[in-house]
Amino acid sequence: MRIYEELFIIRPDANEEEVEAIGGQLTAAISATGGAVDKIEKWGVRKLAYRLQKKNEGYYVLIQFQGGAETVKELERRLRVNDAVMKFLTVRIDEKLKWLERRRKAREKRAAKKPQAPAAPALPAQEAAPVPGAPAGREE
Amino acid sequence: MAETRGGRPIGSSQRPTGGDKAIVSNKRQFFRRRKVCKFCVDKIDQIDYKDVKLLSMFLSERGKIIPRRLSGVCTPCQRRLSEAIKQARNIALLPFATRAVTTAGNLG
Repeated sequence: MRIYEELFIIRPDANEEEVEAIGGQLTAAISATGGAVDKIEKWGVRKLAYRLQKKNEGYYVLIQFQGGAETVKELERRLRVNDAVMKFLTVRIDEKLKWLERRRKAREKRAAKKPQAPAAPALPAQEAAPVPGAPAGREE
Repeated sequence: MAETRGGRPIGSSQRPTGGDKAIVSNKRQFFRRRKVCKFCVDKIDQIDYKDVKLLSMFLSERGKIIPRRLSGVCTPCQRRLSEAIKQARNIALLPFATRAVTTAGNLG
């Protein structure tokens, strides 16, 4: 099971029901292929950075889901078939999330370690800072 | 470079990319901030393609990615940054290129 993010753009002239219908279809497609939807975010109509199918705006929807290769394949097929969908982007994020978690933990560890050692020399370092040409005090 | 003294070219230690202290001591006219990686300083781990506000800080007016030598972003961060910008471009969150807003009217 992998975690993916699917961001897609629906034509801005689609009404709320159509958006809802597309969301429902995709949710069904995800669960039918053994995946699970984590969250759906509707960003609403946004300005596009460049013209797309002669339109300057688009309705952005973000779906975060879990699933395997078949889920992504089916989802992308459905998005491609649907005329209301102008563009879509699938990003695999599970490794990114793992990496972020690792970074966060390392940071916490460092923060927990820090206050004991450099707490005392913190004051003298500040005094030394305005003296010009003191490259030794610049970096830790 | 107007500050060459006696025709001598500016040494590497006097270049604007050096530390700010070095610039001050050389009586440079323009105070140049020492460039640091924004992501490392602000402790931003996640460079997300959805964060348009953050990413657009690293685009030129024309929509090009600003090089490291100008923005000061460190190598690993720049790699992640450019990845994110390219993803954002793909889904029309950021432009591939924007037309110049001059009266000269190049690019048609």
